Amino acid sequence: MRRLAGWMLSLPALALVVLALILPVGATIVATLLDTAGYGAFFGSGFRRTVLWRTLEIASITTLISLVVGFLTAFVVSRAPPRWRSVLIIAAVFPLLTGVVVRSFAWLIVLGKNGIVNNALIWLGVTDTPFSMLYTQGSVIVAMVYLFVPLMILTLVGVLEGIPDDLIQASASLGAGPAATFRQVVFPLAVPGLIVGAVLVFTGSFTSYATPQLLGGERQMVMGTLLHQRAMVAFDWDGAAVVATIMVVVTILVVLGMTRVAKRLNPMAT
Amino acid sequence: MTQALTLKNLTAHYGTTKVLDDLSLEVPAGELVSLLGASGCGKTTTLRLVAGFLEPTSGSITLGGKDLTRLPAHKRDIGLVFQSYALFPHLSVADNVGFGLKQRGVGAADRAKRVTAMLERVGLAHLADRLPGALSGGQRQRVALARALVIEPPLLMFDEPLSNLDARLRLEMRAEIRTLQRANGTTSVFVTHDQEEAFSISDRVAIMHAGQIMQYDTPEVLYQRPANEFVARFVGYDNLIPMQVAARDGARVTAAAQGAELILSQDDFGAIPDCFVLAARPEGLLVSDQGIPARLGLRTYLGRSYQYVCETPLGSLLATSPLSDVREPGSAVHLAPNPAQCCILPAA
Amino acid sequence: MRSTVPLPLTLFAVLVYLFLMGPLVIVIGAALSDTSYLTFPPQGLTLRWFEKIFEMAAFRRTIVTSIQIAFLATAIALVIGIPAAYALNRFRIQLPGWLSTIFVLPVLVPEIVLGFALLRSVATSWELPIFATLLIGHTLIVLPYCVRVVSASLASFDFSVEEAAISLGSPPLKTFFTVVLPNIKAGVIAAFILAFITSINDVSVSLFLTGPGVSTLPIQILAHVEQFFDPVIASVSVLLMLLTVAVMAVVERTLGLTFLAK
Repeated sequence: MRRLAGWMLSLPALALVVLALILPVGATIVATLLDTAGYGAFFGSGFRRTVLWRTLEIASITTLISLVVGFLTAFVVSRAPPRWRSVLIIAAVFPLLTGVVVRSFAWLIVLGKNGIVNNALIWLGVTDTPFSMLYTQGSVIVAMVYLFVPLMILTLVGVLEGIPDDLIQASASLGAGPAATFRQVVFPLAVPGLIVGAVLVFTGSFTSYATPQLLGGERQMVMGTLLHQRAMVAFDWDGAAVVATIMVVVTILVVLGMTRVAKRLNPMAT
Repeated sequence: MTQALTLKNLTAHYGTTKVLDDLSLEVPAGELVSLLGASGCGKTTTLRLVAGFLEPTSGSITLGGKDLTRLPAHKRDIGLVFQSYALFPHLSVADNVGFGLKQRGVGAADRAKRVTAMLERVGLAHLADRLPGALSGGQRQRVALARALVIEPPLLMFDEPLSNLDARLRLEMRAEIRTLQRANGTTSVFVTHDQEEAFSISDRVAIMHAGQIMQYDTPEVLYQRPANEFVARFVGYDNLIPMQVAARDGARVTAAAQGAELILSQDDFGAIPDCFVLAARPEGLLVSDQGIPARLGLRTYLGRSYQYVCETPLGSLLATSPLSDVREPGSAVHLAPNPAQCCILPAA
Repeated sequence: MRSTVPLPLTLFAVLVYLFLMGPLVIVIGAALSDTSYLTFPPQGLTLRWFEKIFEMAAFRRTIVTSIQIAFLATAIALVIGIPAAYALNRFRIQLPGWLSTIFVLPVLVPEIVLGFALLRSVATSWELPIFATLLIGHTLIVLPYCVRVVSASLASFDFSVEEAAISLGSPPLKTFFTVVLPNIKAGVIAAFILAFITSINDVSVSLFLTGPGVSTLPIQILAHVEQFFDPVIASVSVLLMLLTVAVMAVVERTLGLTFLAK
């Protein structure tokens, strides 16, 4: 009776997920497996291999930079006086809620021909003619780091706040300086949070569309923009389905792989 | 290795609130001294100042002649045992204990030897590879103790180390801490709010209130000769009766208050000033035929005696009668002092 | 009195926050620039780019669509998500473990893949208007937020309170509305806000599901940027930031800002 009630209440939501997610995505993946020629076409094309490689590279670099920047910043936030801490957390939440398009677009203005960087360079006399900094791998990575650092900060602040001050003081009382305490106490205890953050940032940047589209354009095509281009410009749906499947597979591999790493690295695991 | 700790004129603030007011304290080398008081009295602040987690507004901290006042916490070489134990959850018991040695550059082999020896002393050698999460409260306490002792610090400090243990374990650990401290002869500071704990474990106790030390003495002196009303109340002198001397006859003194008269002997109390406060434990006022007139209220059976809440012209007082002399609530009696359980304080 | 953080580290954090805030300040500046191209620092000050937004039919239309979709998708997701979250908590023992995983799937599957897969289904087997498909897609991506956030609220709800109400004679359905719902109000509000913001900002799913005449604001922004490089988009961005400010103000009022920290 209770089991039935549970099922009845979950049914509408379950139906939506099954009908609008599992079946369509499943069908897309299965379609590429029925006729594997699509994979031949994908991996046979130097261009598409480059796109896959580039996307992995951008996602990895973004993840790495976000980890370092986010970790150090989150540590400062987690040890700030309470009033400052909430201000800093709000300052990280604000960009996160503002949306990908706005935040990527902001970098168009920063890096564009009439943007602040070029204006500053001209004003300083470094150059007469504005540089084109857009549509490079660097511009995509900068914007992606910008996109994901707040997420990393918020993920890690929670973890770092959970490290009691007592532990840091105990470490100091035993003779460990700030650097030694950071390395031997804070970092190992933050590892689970770092892994969660890394998964979020990697999968997020690996599957992103708006940022590489705005700041990388055709020249820096990544998996997301390639999927869109295949599906909506070339109307090559079989090709698009292959791209989509590769994205799903990579995402699942990363999630599973990192979960295993997390289990092995988890300092509290017995 | 044993060194004296000297605090001179320490003042400290949290923001604009003064939490420590011109506090001076000398902990003799090799002694265990407790800081005793209710929460907010400044005892933990004092400990954190000595540990280096807080900076005093003014004053100095010296350990064995070395000025610690401006030294960063990690260079002070003080063994600390935290209320929460503060064991590193990601390190094994052995690595927790070896943490301080590692910071001091002790090689792995030597470190392992010293860690094992220390774990054997606290009886935890068999748990060396466990993580703290897998230990019981008492075991964690022992690891914390071992971790602080193994670095052989000239000063050990305990921040309410027993408050997270159940009653039986608390007694056991109390004895163990005292034994280890005696054996090493390490100067120690012990912060607690538990009077019994402080008195039983310490060479001396500093009773603190509002950022100041009210009295600093051996437990015996504190118990028998409190210096002021605060300490008297703290150590169980529940009845504080302000009195004036009405007549003197040799050692015999007649003291009066609110019409009630008591005969006190200077042989029992030493010199009695003209104006004073008689501090009496409940056992210090006996139900009798003369003394302070009283009407008995609530009676409590205490095993060896009866205790009464009494209405007297001097206010509500606690008094005692032996088991052989049961009185009924409501009866009119008198209360006479039992000098062994009373003392004389200067008038406030 | 917390442990002190080394000064260089604090300075680094300050720089990071300048990096986080800077571009947004620049967008505001650019939106006010009296030039026909995007530039910073602004040259001259004008509000005409804000007026321009509403003069352009494409923006007017997509703003309306975006708001409609966000409201409807969030409402539907809550209506089906709250009972699911309730069931997952109340009947935890009776339901299989994978059920709660199912509701997290839309987060695990890349949104852009979901968008493409929905497009394929619509084109091949379903016959649905564009608006309806968009709505389905958006409901799907906001559902996990609704289920998870409401679940978190329910996890700390003591169900014996509900049983007490029922034992006092209150019928189960009425009990849900009078006893359970008021106690998980904070979670429902939080879920609503998260879901609404997620839908308004979505690109990856909408990208495939918009069509002739029906588009959402972010997609319109992307299309506009590809053709023009004028400050209109900067001013639209400022509007979206104002929306974020408004949302945070609502959160502050109803739940307290510490809620955002979670």
